[in-house]
Amino acid sequence: MSLKSLTREWEPMSYGFLDASAKREVRRKMLKAIAVPGCQMPYASREVPMARGWGTGGLQVSCTLLNPRMSIKVIDQGADDSVNAVSIRKFLARVSGAPVTMNTLEADLIQSRHRIPEEVLRADQVLVLQVPNPEPLRSVQPNLSIARQMHADADYGRMWLQLYEQIVRSGRVMQGASYPSLVNGRFVMTPSPIPRWDVPKLNMANHLTILSAGREKRIHAVPPFTRVEPLVFDDVPYRVEEHGALVCHRSGAKGFFMNEIPQDDGSSSYEVSDSEWGVKTIRLAEGARVEMGKTWYRNGEFSQ
Amino acid sequence: MAYVATRGGERAIEQSERLFRAEMGEITPGRVAEIRAAMPYLIDRVMGEASLYDEDLAALALAQTGGELFEAVLLLRAWRTTQPRLAVAEPVTQDSLFTHRRISAAFKDIPGGQILGPTLDYSHRILATDVLSGQTYRPEPVEPAQTPAPAHQPSVAAWQAANGLLRAPTPDSVTGNDIPDVTREPLLFPARRAHTLQSLARAETGGVLALGYAAQRGYGQAHPTVNELRLAEAEVRVEHPRGTIFSAGRVKVSQAEVVSKTGTQLGLGFAATMGWNEVKVIAAATLDLNSKGAPKGSATEEEFFLYHTEGVESSGFCIHFKLPHYVTFQSSLDAMRDGSLNQGASEKQPEPAE
Repeated sequence: MSLKSLTREWEPMSYGFLDASAKREVRRKMLKAIAVPGCQMPYASREVPMARGWGTGGLQVSCTLLNPRMSIKVIDQGADDSVNAVSIRKFLARVSGAPVTMNTLEADLIQSRHRIPEEVLRADQVLVLQVPNPEPLRSVQPNLSIARQMHADADYGRMWLQLYEQIVRSGRVMQGASYPSLVNGRFVMTPSPIPRWDVPKLNMANHLTILSAGREKRIHAVPPFTRVEPLVFDDVPYRVEEHGALVCHRSGAKGFFMNEIPQDDGSSSYEVSDSEWGVKTIRLAEGARVEMGKTWYRNGEFSQ
Repeated sequence: MAYVATRGGERAIEQSERLFRAEMGEITPGRVAEIRAAMPYLIDRVMGEASLYDEDLAALALAQTGGELFEAVLLLRAWRTTQPRLAVAEPVTQDSLFTHRRISAAFKDIPGGQILGPTLDYSHRILATDVLSGQTYRPEPVEPAQTPAPAHQPSVAAWQAANGLLRAPTPDSVTGNDIPDVTREPLLFPARRAHTLQSLARAETGGVLALGYAAQRGYGQAHPTVNELRLAEAEVRVEHPRGTIFSAGRVKVSQAEVVSKTGTQLGLGFAATMGWNEVKVIAAATLDLNSKGAPKGSATEEEFFLYHTEGVESSGFCIHFKLPHYVTFQSSLDAMRDGSLNQGASEKQPEPAE
């Protein structure tokens, strides 16, 4: 027996870029995160060939989960063709040999920055959300050590106070995206800066969501069929963005989350943020055979 | 008709990268060798921040990024993270360092002597403009001393400890793969000593200087006296599979000890990094000196300065703001418009970083 017979041929790059020990760590931390929903698990977070803050956390999770038979979809702010989505998709395909797709229904693994697709995800799909700041308490407590202690004590009083102050000052909760949400009745998490529109999609969902922050070195997860409740007062209901009545000027899709496009005349027009949903709507209108998945929202109302 | 020109994004990013690289032109082995020879201090800085000691790779990274330092460091770190670990070198002790320069501001003379070594400290900073009009600048020859300075020196802190002026840190006997490695485990607080020193060693020079300077100006409690600043070379002693310990080569290192009076004893701050980078180690040692008992959230608190001097993370996050944020922006606008309807006036709300 020689050393050579025990080892594999030298390769300049491991399958899926990360080496086996890095993947093992990410796998373990993902399992822990799934076991304690919404709790942030620290991980080493390797440097990858992309700048920190550009999806390196999501990338490490995707690199760990990938195999050559999985279809990958990558979206950035809803769009598959956004430059950074293109770049990440290219990298994942290059290091894994896995096929890529834009069709939400065909994707096994969806890496996304700040949106959940409008079509309902299935139990066999995994959503990987890129997370800039994993700490929901950051705005009330920037010090991580103290914030960790607050999570351990389920001490979320300052979080509630912040929401209350917003209501007193502005007549409503002013939180835009990253709406703090209670997971499984225990941990407050940030759902990453997805719009409020998308948060209900995480509640009792069929699919697994993994949220990974590369720069901040934290993974948290929402396992399937887990309660995700936005923090709200009993008498002030949760409100998603008022996009239910908006119509996409390009596709005619109505009742989905929109991008606002300012016009020269001072008005605004809108286009649907989930670019693939827009493409499908247009193609359907043109008479093509398109499989339109079931959507979370129907007629602009959440209907799960 | 497609909803969006899908190929458009792909083509755009491809061409923009080409444009950047076209401006740099060809990268030849000669160019890399020239960068390495002409800019040893830049190479040192990049190697230290990348925590990867390889002058050729550092020069290549600089050539490939056109000297964009954050990009060069990221390139080296991304390469480093994929490399196998063949061995862990033996610990380096201060008195085993092959010392080129070692000065103390605490005492006029110190055991082993003050050794100026190579420095621009006392030079007049005048541009040699003649070079631009065609004249070659030739450095004056160095006249060697009659007796060479001893290559190995004890540390000043060791003398102070022996004289009861400070309490020497307890030696850490952990070796080999048991040493906590900040590139293989997350940094948590209170940080382990090894993680703190490793993080400072690979911190971004400018960031360490900014926070160290803030501490020196008075935002820290302790005013540092440079006990010892040292530029040296360290033997990388590793174990051969047959069991022999041998030196695999030398690496340049810098280290600083700073002290300040804390009660009846001296407080000690320490930092070391790969490559020669005096500003960084003095500033980093100042932060180390001030970190003990620093209030939460102050610039001299460990969590604050270790997080915010991480160059790859901070620069990456800073440039990520160039990415589209229209979903998050849209979401804020929605709340803001409705809020101002309710109030008749909009009010500024702090939003978490996204």
